[in-house]
Amino acid sequence: MLITWRAVALTALGVVAVVLVPAGLTVVLWLALVVLLCVVDTLLAASPRAVELSRRVPMSVRLTEHVTSSLAMTNLGRRTLRGTLRDAWQPSAGAVSNRHELEVRAGDGQRVRTVLTPSRRGDRQADLVTIRTRGPMGLAGRQASLAVPGRLRVLPEFASRRHLPSRLARLRELDGRAAVQVRGAGTEFDSLREYVVGDDVRSIDWRATARRSEVVVRTWRPERDRRVFMVLDTSRTSAARVGDAPRLDASIEAALLLAALASHAGDRVELIAFDRRLRARVAGATGPRLMPAMADALAPLEPALIEADWPGIVGAIRERTSQRALVVLLSALEPAAVESGLLPVVAQLTAVHQVVLASVADPELAELRSGRASSADIYDAAAAQRADLEREAIAVRLRQRGVDVVEALPEDLAPRLADAYLALKAAGRL
Amino acid sequence: MTATATTEYRPPATTAVRDRTTASGRAKARWARIRLPLVVVALIALTVLFAAFAKPRTSGIALAPDNPAPSGARATAEILKRQGVEITYVRTMREALRADAPGNTLLVTSTNDLTDEQVARLAASKSDLVLLGPSFWALEVLAPGLGTDFADGTEVRTAECDDPDASAARTITVSGPEYRTTSPDITLCFPGGSEGTGAYAVIPGARRTVAFADPSLLTNRHLAQEGNAALALRALGHHPHLTWYVPSLADTSTDAGQGLQPGADALPSWLGLVLAQLAVLVVVIAWWRGRRLGRLVTEPLPVTVPASEATRGRGRLYRRARSRGHAAAALRAGAASRMAVRLGLPRSAGATDVIDGVARATQHTTAEVAALVYGPPPSDDASLLRLAGQLDKLESEVRRS
Repeated sequence: MLITWRAVALTALGVVAVVLVPAGLTVVLWLALVVLLCVVDTLLAASPRAVELSRRVPMSVRLTEHVTSSLAMTNLGRRTLRGTLRDAWQPSAGAVSNRHELEVRAGDGQRVRTVLTPSRRGDRQADLVTIRTRGPMGLAGRQASLAVPGRLRVLPEFASRRHLPSRLARLRELDGRAAVQVRGAGTEFDSLREYVVGDDVRSIDWRATARRSEVVVRTWRPERDRRVFMVLDTSRTSAARVGDAPRLDASIEAALLLAALASHAGDRVELIAFDRRLRARVAGATGPRLMPAMADALAPLEPALIEADWPGIVGAIRERTSQRALVVLLSALEPAAVESGLLPVVAQLTAVHQVVLASVADPELAELRSGRASSADIYDAAAAQRADLEREAIAVRLRQRGVDVVEALPEDLAPRLADAYLALKAAGRL
Repeated sequence: MTATATTEYRPPATTAVRDRTTASGRAKARWARIRLPLVVVALIALTVLFAAFAKPRTSGIALAPDNPAPSGARATAEILKRQGVEITYVRTMREALRADAPGNTLLVTSTNDLTDEQVARLAASKSDLVLLGPSFWALEVLAPGLGTDFADGTEVRTAECDDPDASAARTITVSGPEYRTTSPDITLCFPGGSEGTGAYAVIPGARRTVAFADPSLLTNRHLAQEGNAALALRALGHHPHLTWYVPSLADTSTDAGQGLQPGADALPSWLGLVLAQLAVLVVVIAWWRGRRLGRLVTEPLPVTVPASEATRGRGRLYRRARSRGHAAAALRAGAASRMAVRLGLPRSAGATDVIDGVARATQHTTAEVAALVYGPPPSDDASLLRLAGQLDKLESEVRRS
């Protein structure tokens, strides 16, 4: 049993009654009247449990977009149900106006819609649906909470997709379809065609020319069907907040752009998320199924506050790919973590694969480094400078072992990694 | 082909049909949920009640019969009770006069807090009076002819009078004021140094009035000394009923009927009832607001560790240790490596190559550049700040060249 503001107003009216008839009995009788009316109203209210609730919610939504979760309610009781329904979701699901007024006759139904604007990547759960019914006088009512499970997967925003068209254009330039022929290591024979003025005379295929009546040139195209193996490090270094989001989110953006680009270029993309154990894996998805699979696998990832198991990661890579591949390590260039984790085992990778380390840089460090306002700022600047030097040193050591290091601010990492991939492709180092 | 492709797919709806719980099942579940808290609350309440009733209640009021402190009079009261005297402890004049009748004893522990009306009403009472250290203006009304005088120091005095209580006590301790009288009706006992003084006065009349000059005689501290106990117990134990009145400032009532309430005349009579109705209203509002529309929803949130935290920590360590050498070395190394890159020097370039390169690119001599980039560590924070400024300037000059 619960009461509404009307019951409170009725009780407040009792003050007037007490002033008019100042006696102890007035207080008692007025209270009895209020209680009686509330009890009668509660008994006349429709049962909040005699309902059928049916929830429809889309499987997933991309971050920054919104979806509608709809609840169909059927009144199975014998009375008209008047009241309020609350469709509760976890806070970051962004269900702002989730209270709905109900007025449903017996046997009738009503559909309520709650707009969800998620503010965070991951799986968001629906909580209990609470129905509060009012009696005919609106003084009191009943309330019950029912479990109607619902889950909404909030996919990564993939804001870096705006860089995709320009990178695809660059990719086509590498391709034989473009006017300018690129020939060299890393390209493979595509086809023969008739010589036109302007073609490089060195690309004339004399053997084929001899067989035909016209001069024939060879055309080339970039290699296809290479393997791109991405490793998303979800260990403690990925939890660090850069700007407003954890490092992991910027790494996910970079992984999504690279996956989209590589699948357009005809390469096979595989991804694992790893810290001390496998957190997610995308393999075998090609063509239009790749990106949904990637988004779905990456959406629920959370940073784990543990140290990465680099020998384990190397083992996982070797287990899954025996051929030469482009191995992209989406991790952090943290001197201590790299020194004790990645550095001792990276030679095993570079012996077989082309390895790229993509790391999210912190814009705050550059700010700290240029601080000159007070002596306290100078010490911070010195500390930031020292951290920079150490990071440069560890990057040099990685490069000496054959690792390409890409370090960029969160919003720049995805295009920079895509550029690094295109450069490797153009150079035929995949 | 984007990540939102999956939103097109509509999954089957999840449904909950009619909560299958029964009223009795819910009641059982509710009872199971509330049982443990109820037991705990009941245990606490029982403990509190037990503690409240198991121990006799005590107070800290001077000369109160329930005060076990040195300034209290619980010892006197307990002994009297054991001797069969029924004690009524009161704090207001109205209550004190309720049992007013001949054959009762009324003890007034102090007259300082009484109003003139109350003193007059006391004078008109019919009980035997025992006054402890009454003030002189009260004495004028209650015992005309008796005045107060001052004696100093604590001394032991003997009765030296024919009052049976006093002679039974033989000696008592006296400190502070004493009485002086010229009236032949008044018996003064335990005289002091001068003529006509005494620490204990008996005023005969329609009812017996006894006055102690020194109230401390009754206290727990002094009761056991000399004949204090004998005098106090005899004076208070004349009748089987003793009203023990400890006056208080808050009380202005004068008779056994309706007492005067402070400000009562200014307030309407229905105020109390309205307050009661408002109290009911508060409870109703609490009930209205107390019920949430469904439970709070929780969500696990990721930890937030700023990536620059370690760097800031190191900056604080430098600062606390006044580690200007390390700080300057870091700033110099950073500037040198950036300038070397700008000048196109190889990574393997030594200090002399960098110095020569920078000197050539700017207007500075090699000695100046060497002192700036590879000089001794600064001696204080101000010179560190200056060094950082000079390095920035040098760097910008290299960049411009």
